[in-house]
Amino acid sequence: MIRFILRRCAIGLVLVWIVLTLIFLALHLVPGDPAALLLGGEGSGTPTPEALAQVRERLGLNDPFLVQYWNYLSGLFQGNLGTSFRDGSAVAGFIATRLPNTLELVLVASLLALVVGIPLGALAARRGGAVDTGISLLTAIGLAVPVYVIGTVMVLVFALTLRWFPAGGYVAFTEDPVGHLSRLVLPSIAIAMGITAVLARMTRSSVIETMGQDWVRTARSVGLARSQVFQGHVMRNSLNPVVTSFGLEVGALIGSTVLIERVFNWPGLGSLLIDAVLQRDYPIVQGVVIVVSVLFILINIVVDVSYGLLDPRVRQS
Amino acid sequence: MNRKKNLFRTALVAAVTAGALALTACAGDAGGAPATPAADQKLTIGLSADVADLKPARDQGAAAMMLDTLIHRGLLAYDADGEVVPALAESFEQTDDVTYTFTLREGLTFQDGTALTSANVKSSLEYLATPESGSKIYSAMSGLASVETPDDLTVIVTLKSKNVAFPEYLADTTAAILPDEAFAAEGTSWVGAGPFTLESTDKGISFTLVKNEDFYDAENVSLTDIEIAIYADGAARSNALIAGDVDLIDFVPWEDFDRVESTPGLVIDATSGPFMYVHFNVTDGPFADERVRQAVALAVNRENVASAAFSGQAAVIAGAPIPESSPFYNKELANGWDTDIEAAKDLLTEAGYPEGFDTNLLTSSQYAFHQDTALSVQADLAEIGIVATLDAPDWATRQEKALAGEYDLAIAGSAGVVNDPSFLANFVSGPAANNRSFGFDDPELDTLLADGLTAADDTERKAVYDQVQERILETVPFASLVGRSQAFGYNEKVVGFSNIPGFLTFLSGYTLADTTISGQ
Repeated sequence: MIRFILRRCAIGLVLVWIVLTLIFLALHLVPGDPAALLLGGEGSGTPTPEALAQVRERLGLNDPFLVQYWNYLSGLFQGNLGTSFRDGSAVAGFIATRLPNTLELVLVASLLALVVGIPLGALAARRGGAVDTGISLLTAIGLAVPVYVIGTVMVLVFALTLRWFPAGGYVAFTEDPVGHLSRLVLPSIAIAMGITAVLARMTRSSVIETMGQDWVRTARSVGLARSQVFQGHVMRNSLNPVVTSFGLEVGALIGSTVLIERVFNWPGLGSLLIDAVLQRDYPIVQGVVIVVSVLFILINIVVDVSYGLLDPRVRQS
Repeated sequence: MNRKKNLFRTALVAAVTAGALALTACAGDAGGAPATPAADQKLTIGLSADVADLKPARDQGAAAMMLDTLIHRGLLAYDADGEVVPALAESFEQTDDVTYTFTLREGLTFQDGTALTSANVKSSLEYLATPESGSKIYSAMSGLASVETPDDLTVIVTLKSKNVAFPEYLADTTAAILPDEAFAAEGTSWVGAGPFTLESTDKGISFTLVKNEDFYDAENVSLTDIEIAIYADGAARSNALIAGDVDLIDFVPWEDFDRVESTPGLVIDATSGPFMYVHFNVTDGPFADERVRQAVALAVNRENVASAAFSGQAAVIAGAPIPESSPFYNKELANGWDTDIEAAKDLLTEAGYPEGFDTNLLTSSQYAFHQDTALSVQADLAEIGIVATLDAPDWATRQEKALAGEYDLAIAGSAGVVNDPSFLANFVSGPAANNRSFGFDDPELDTLLADGLTAADDTERKAVYDQVQERILETVPFASLVGRSQAFGYNEKVVGFSNIPGFLTFLSGYTLADTTISGQ
């Protein structure tokens, strides 16, 4: 087991390095001058060539390509993610403020999805008939409707019309716990809908497949109650594929909450990344990409390990 | 086990519902309208962009200008009608064509307690005059000859040549008087002498400001706290205003004008602000010929641009973009480019392109209004035989291409630094810029504009600017399209705030010093 984990970690490191290099290349090959963007504004004033030259020098953009790459890598080894072009503050600081916000959204949404999606899928599989059709319809809607449409409709209904929640924004929990939570509800539910639908469907098909197994029939025939068979045996065996897809969904979610962050004005990692790309703030883009890839790879490792925990057959191999 | 799970689920639903009901008690608030001031003079603003760092001198965009109007003051400022009024300077006098004497108020301090004297004014103005500062008002400040400070309260500014519009540039936010630390290499300008002090900031999320009790006019400032929350997405910003999460927003998206206006208790305060235009690469190809440029200006259907890109919230500009409210506005010349397809086709034929030609049109897909403007123009040009292919990269790429002249035609939106027609100089001359026709050089126009600055009186100025407009209609350094409506949306209880007309709309934050929250 330990060797398995270590091997996965080593592969993960190589993956992160590859992603890093690709992003570095992409940023520097794409047109768009960070200095010009920093100095440009709303009005008609265009920055003087002297001002531009000064800023480019300060940002290290005049150094040769490989020097910039080497500086970056060596900085990383020392644990330094660099400083933002926009205001010179540490990238790590930026990420440290935004990452928890995104993780909070992802976590709450995932929990909601788990709590609602799995029982829903199991119910559909167990009952069949009208219940199954109804739930399948709901999940189809949850999968088909884009997340920003769900989010916008929720804002319209719950914030603007019913006035139950604020339309968006963020306050720190330490400052105003109630305000913080009331702003968390709508975005988490909006994200959760998609994941719930996926989980429900995966659970449903997995349970149906398990229920068709011979040993289920055998368990019933030796006298175990229907509910005992279902809860104790069928569910546990159906969860493998569900766990995998759940893990992948959560991992992918960390980088893709940007649409909901925009609709609800939630200051997370996704919007930080998009803004940094548009502003050509290279250090922030690189920093966020590293963090997101590391997290994604870690989650995948955790999923693989939990596979072993859930399924004794995997442990033995 | 099944029953337990059921019970658990029911309990969870009950808990969520109870929680939701509890939270509704704390959500939202009603707006009032009576004239008596509210006990709590706190204003919440939803701002359209983040300001990473306030730097002196530079044009950092509308959001930074809003912050500047709160934290800073210069020698002069603007009032709600866009007139120049004294600020840090108690009075000023123009002693001759090129000399201005400013008398500072007594006892001025910065928000960190240090004294503000004529020495600070001297360093600020001299910094603005250096090319490395990248200052927004460099076109005016490059004419600075000297700044003398005979005593702590007197500043004598001498220019190299007459500039009638000089005081207007000094009223811009970038002409704020700053402490010396701001001019250091990596200096920032978070400390100033304005009516509100920055108390704290949550990076990328909010700014918290409190009233500066040492402000020279503190007794007339009603607001005690200002909370600025960043709402980068236009729809989220409008929703926040409609839901009551914020009291005032800037940059109301054009598609939301009706929605905000029809919400009871909300006000839309709009003015024609920045203008959209087409600029050209005149170094070679068809657009080097001014007749072809004239043809483009005559072919565009400006009403279509207004409805396609701005939901109708834009004003047609068919000549030089001098605001209607300006004393230099000329009704006839303002319509010199009224749509005339036949004349446009004739001009093309005259220039040697009877069948039209192929070309490319640079815009940006990052801003819907930008791309929609381009699409509208593209359709109009096709009518006279000019087949334009759109090039719509993201904004950063668009800026780089435009600066390098990698385009034939380009869409741009910009504003003058001041309402005075001298702003036109930035659009027709100077080093290569990403919002100006590439390679354009018209010495006659430059001379006319320089004459406008040194004209003896207003009648002479008007005559000069009429000639300027005629020249622009002829040589087409750019083809104006529309003036887009720049609007603030706010709750009725916000009294005293006003959208300053024309290009000064971005400086409307100046009126927050006179704003009160009424009701309740």
